[in-house]
Amino acid sequence: MTLLFALMKKELLALVRDVHGLAALLLMPVLFIVIMSLALKDVYNPPTKTLSYAVENKDEGALSTILLDQWRKDHGEALPLSADWQNDLLAGKLKYVIQIEEQTSETLAQVQIAPNSDNKATIHLLVEPSMDKAMLASLQAQLTGLVSGIQVQTLRTIIAAQFQNSSPSPKADKETKPPDLVDVKRSSATQMTPTSVQQNVPAWLVFGMFFVMSAMSGLWLIERENGVTARLHSFGVPNSTLLLSKIIPYLGVNALQAVLMLTVGVWLMPLLGADALQLKGINWPALLLVIAAISAAAVGLALLVACLVRTQAQAGALVPILNVLMAAIGGIMVPKFVMPTFMQRLAELSPMNWGLEGLLTVILRHGDMAAVTPYATRLVGFAALMFVLALLLLRRKN
Amino acid sequence: METDLLQISHVSFQYKGAKDAALTDVSLTAKRGEILGLLGPNGAGKTTLISHLSAGLAVQNGDVLIDGEPFAKVHHNTPTRISVAPQEYAFYPMLTVLENLNCFAAACDLSADLQKTRVQSCLDFAQLNHFGNTRAQNLSGGLKRRLNLAIAVLPQPDLYLFDEPTVGVDPQSRAFILDAIKHLASQGAAIIYTSHYMEEIEAIADRVAILDRGRILCCDTLSNLLQQGAMTVRFQLKDASIFTPEHPSYAALLAFGHLQSDGTHYILSLRPHTPLSHVFTALENSTLALHDIQVGRATLEHVFMTLTDRKLRDN
Repeated sequence: MTLLFALMKKELLALVRDVHGLAALLLMPVLFIVIMSLALKDVYNPPTKTLSYAVENKDEGALSTILLDQWRKDHGEALPLSADWQNDLLAGKLKYVIQIEEQTSETLAQVQIAPNSDNKATIHLLVEPSMDKAMLASLQAQLTGLVSGIQVQTLRTIIAAQFQNSSPSPKADKETKPPDLVDVKRSSATQMTPTSVQQNVPAWLVFGMFFVMSAMSGLWLIERENGVTARLHSFGVPNSTLLLSKIIPYLGVNALQAVLMLTVGVWLMPLLGADALQLKGINWPALLLVIAAISAAAVGLALLVACLVRTQAQAGALVPILNVLMAAIGGIMVPKFVMPTFMQRLAELSPMNWGLEGLLTVILRHGDMAAVTPYATRLVGFAALMFVLALLLLRRKN
Repeated sequence: METDLLQISHVSFQYKGAKDAALTDVSLTAKRGEILGLLGPNGAGKTTLISHLSAGLAVQNGDVLIDGEPFAKVHHNTPTRISVAPQEYAFYPMLTVLENLNCFAAACDLSADLQKTRVQSCLDFAQLNHFGNTRAQNLSGGLKRRLNLAIAVLPQPDLYLFDEPTVGVDPQSRAFILDAIKHLASQGAAIIYTSHYMEEIEAIADRVAILDRGRILCCDTLSNLLQQGAMTVRFQLKDASIFTPEHPSYAALLAFGHLQSDGTHYILSLRPHTPLSHVFTALENSTLALHDIQVGRATLEHVFMTLTDRKLRDN
């Protein structure tokens, strides 16, 4: 045990004194989390409610007023419509303009049970040129939903009036909110909205954990090149102790990374104006299982790489390529759900993806031990394979 | 001097895929209290031989015995009976001198109390007391060599293998290291010392083995080897340009021994029992104009060069 502790102490001292290695392990993933979470903030939560807009209302009817009042409640006050509003829209000063034609209220009041192809749209949504598809679809859906709601409300009023034998009035009650036609709920216990932080913290945590390859192979190469390994062997230090003295500290480093990244997500990101990472109600044993499995896979791969490379130049080239490729394929850099189907299948081959899906299962879907077991099993299997290959290589070299 | 601690008998070794054997029928002995100088050009097989003695390579053919027991068994039971100070700085550059010594003391499986004592003894032995808290990477070349030596001394082995332990150090550090190694031998350890510095081997070795192309060319006491090299006639010509292998005197002189040039002088290493008068007669009868001539005994370098020839070793 004294020998193992001494070798582990050496490993940790070497790591602590390697400023660049430490930065790659701890600072780089934190920076990625901060930068990518802030950069992708709006992708996960389109800011449709804070976009600058204006209204050109040529209709004098009540229903268009109800429509615009309701829109204002959800999207803030409209900006005054300038004479040059088309140019403002082109320049992006206005994100969108809602145009309501004359007689729109009357058109809305004439509720069509069956669609009529002769009907032309009388409400127009004009958007700035660079608005992305998702945001445009969101605005369009909100406006269409609102219009449909008003139509349903109008229909109710007409039917009610007919039952009371009074003449129908096209006027609707301004105070009545149009009904929600569709109730949307995320299939999650907490109704949590996915944010860029929820995606990026697990993603870059996985990426950072696999970066132990760099630090581990670096010191191992120094030991091999300057004859330390040969000296230790000549003193009778067994391979198993040498391997353990490297595995245990880096499992600890991975644990430290996990604590740091989760802390950054929970505490730092809100201070920087991003959403906070939500860990309330998650299954902690499941989270620990996934992190332990990722760590085993990362350390296993690091061992194999350390045994494979012969020079610092090889390590310097192989480690970043391997890490970045696995991250690119595995949904770390680009979320898997935006990938086309064949890329999603490819992503499922990356150990980083198994780790990421495991973490997302716990953090987003509040999965339990059973839910994360498939991912943990794959990671542990991968780790075992890496350990065996590393040991075989080590024996062959000896 | 005591009985043989190390016996290497008929050891041969060939690396996988290599065309030639790295070692062929190598036999050597090392005694307690004795320093065996191991000489050989680059690629001669010195490192392969040392690797056999540091458990880096398994014996393919032949026997390596320590006190009559197979090396593998001895290394398995008591690995620290043999200690290697490799040519490289085999320690952790980012750790301090003390941290390095503590780490390797633990690797030697010393008890906690013994570790403390040995670390202090080794600091004293290598005179590194003032550098205990200095990171190894910040030490000078001489101090690094001394740390390499101190680590080798930690387990107090019976047999030391020093592989060019003075490369790149100043004369003071070299003298210190040589004295330290002699001291270890005087305390009863067996030592195998490899170096390319002939004067070091002459200064330190009791016996010398010359290894080339994987074979032991000779192994004897230093005085016997120098005797074997016998006499040398060293001469300088006024006009060396005419003295080519085609010159009749060239072939005449070659009949007396081995002829070589160091750039300014020709050195004729005489075969045993060659009368000096015959050499002088041959020189007098030649058309060569002599600038100066000296007669002396061969140095170890002459013996080495005679046995291994002057051809560059690129492999």
